[in-house]
Amino acid sequence: MKKEKTEVISAGIDMGTQRIKVAILKDKQIIAQTQNFVGFEPTKAAEQTLKDALETAKLSREDIQHITATGASVNMAPFADSTISMMGADAKAGAYFFSSARTVIDVGAEDARAIKCDETGIMQDFVVNARCAAGAGTFIEAMARALEVDLEDMGTLSLKAERASQINASCVIFAESDVVSLIHREEPKSEIARAIFDAMAERVASMAHRLGINKDIILVGGVAKDVGFVASLNRRIGMDILIPKEPLFAGAVGAALIADKRAKRKR
Amino acid sequence: MASEIETGTKYIPEMAQKEIDKLNKSIKTASIKVIEENIKRMKKSWNNRPKTMEYFDEVSNLFGLRAKEIKKQKEAGKKVIGYSCIFAPIEMILAADAIPVRIGSGWYDTAKLGDRIMPVEICPVIRSTVGAKMIGLSPFLELSDAVVIPLTCDGRTKLSEILSDYKPVWRMNPPRVKDDPHTLTMWKKEIQVIKEKIEKLTGNKITRKKLKKTIETMQKATKAFRRLQELRKGVPVINGRDAMLVNQTSLWDNIERWTQKVNELCDELEKRLEQKEYSSYPETPRVMITGTPMIWPDSWKVPNLIEESNPQGIVVVDEQCSGDRILYDPVGVDEWTMNDMIDAISERYLMACTCPSFTSEHGNEDRVNWIIDRIKEYKVDGVIYYVVRGCILYAMEYARIKRVLDKMNIPVYYLDTEYTREDVGQMKTRVEAFLEMLEARIDI
Repeated sequence: MKKEKTEVISAGIDMGTQRIKVAILKDKQIIAQTQNFVGFEPTKAAEQTLKDALETAKLSREDIQHITATGASVNMAPFADSTISMMGADAKAGAYFFSSARTVIDVGAEDARAIKCDETGIMQDFVVNARCAAGAGTFIEAMARALEVDLEDMGTLSLKAERASQINASCVIFAESDVVSLIHREEPKSEIARAIFDAMAERVASMAHRLGINKDIILVGGVAKDVGFVASLNRRIGMDILIPKEPLFAGAVGAALIADKRAKRKR
Repeated sequence: MASEIETGTKYIPEMAQKEIDKLNKSIKTASIKVIEENIKRMKKSWNNRPKTMEYFDEVSNLFGLRAKEIKKQKEAGKKVIGYSCIFAPIEMILAADAIPVRIGSGWYDTAKLGDRIMPVEICPVIRSTVGAKMIGLSPFLELSDAVVIPLTCDGRTKLSEILSDYKPVWRMNPPRVKDDPHTLTMWKKEIQVIKEKIEKLTGNKITRKKLKKTIETMQKATKAFRRLQELRKGVPVINGRDAMLVNQTSLWDNIERWTQKVNELCDELEKRLEQKEYSSYPETPRVMITGTPMIWPDSWKVPNLIEESNPQGIVVVDEQCSGDRILYDPVGVDEWTMNDMIDAISERYLMACTCPSFTSEHGNEDRVNWIIDRIKEYKVDGVIYYVVRGCILYAMEYARIKRVLDKMNIPVYYLDTEYTREDVGQMKTRVEAFLEMLEARIDI
């Protein structure tokens, strides 16, 4: 009997507010991950990112059996076969990276969210913080600008602090003026940086507590790469936080896993 | 001297007539557009929407025929009695041959006008009602000869002061503790006082015979309402938004005509049920809405989102004073004596109400039980807990309701919003994720 082709190649595209991420999976194994800035033409950027990923994987567009899009600008990827919510994608990815995942926290450029999931990666509950940038990546960016420190150096700088300064974290605008007055008082930049991460972690943690935190906690999203934020969140939550190797791609991987499922269903 | 300043000073600053006219015109035009748009969207989601729905579309035009009809009857000598909350005893207003109309406002644009005199933290239903008064937007409020304002929450208490700058306002003082024996006695007194006020304004005595008749009229309305609700319990033959609109129009329509039209609609829907002609897919996730009243037309943004989402949801039941709570309970009379009827009215309006402004030894247990019962009856898959900013009582009760629903393994989503159109995009993301979750759970 002739063996039927059972290999499934799927792709997920995460249309974030700052970056577009693509993940390609072959039988649920990641074979390519690429990203680009959104820029002013999101659809073009999305197509380019997919093209890059296909090149990395040495595949052509026809090899992909299903593409699922997610993210804030999900409608800007018209070539996708289906869509999934950001929370649904996060839950899938969390359980994929760590089978023990029960709470997934995603901190992106413009928003933060916490998702409860079961062992199969199906979301059970979620909360989002979409009202205010103070709990998201752009907050660090704005504060790095105020401190005149490179964004990439903020984390390591904050780790040098022995204590944290006090800032108002209810609003980016207020926080920025707090930071400026701290600079004028000549407080060490490291302590201000730590205060910034502490304030952010406080917001993210209280959001997660509203949901109820179950172990294990997985942190994903671009901000998960920032050692300063991770240290603050660890301190604030008081539990170990697991982070996948490429937290930026969690949404794209989650979407690709959904695409894998949908491709199989179609058969 | 001092007291003159005190009583002569009003809440609302004077506005130039030119500005009032300009705002009235532009907001009215925008509101008519929103009404038309809502109806268009409801039609689009239900491709074989029955013709009987057109009657309710017509009544839903707040500036349309119903307003003109009331105006005509007023000119012929009838009195119009507005009310801000469903604590006002409709049977008594009708028995005095007056016209009852709810005046609570669902206009987002007028909430912005209310901001001129109130901070944005105040409940937008109140800000919007005041804003509407500032420019004379609401035909029903403008036509009212008096307004009944039950002081259920802090916002309504001060609303009664603000509106009394313009109209006779009759405050009602509902007790906040339901289960103390003396509270019902006190409430009965409130009902009696309102009865006297209605009689004095209209010049019509509320006789035993007249009151019996209007109690029966409202019982018939409840029967029709329950018939429609029965049809929402199974496979969808009517979409949530359409049923919500039908229920809400009872607040300003002629109730006898409304009852007749609801029965006509039910005839049609029962036929469709037999012919398996559904308004949405039978597997559509079934949603309950609970929380702040969702007042037509602008607050339709939430049910619009739920029923147009991908994946789609259907609102099968709500626990709101703008919807399923309006007519759910009939006034139950044992003996048709005046005393018994007043007792029955008092009990119905106080004891049956699940508003979070109440508490008792076991907290607001009536609301908890209502929600549990409806979830079972209507096979609800998930609950949207809707709260507008400033609605403190609903916001505070969430924690308890959430724990109850967790025990029942029913997902609930706390959807907080404002009287604004700007958050629709963010809300869409959240509503879609919630429905996706419900769908995934049904899939298993």
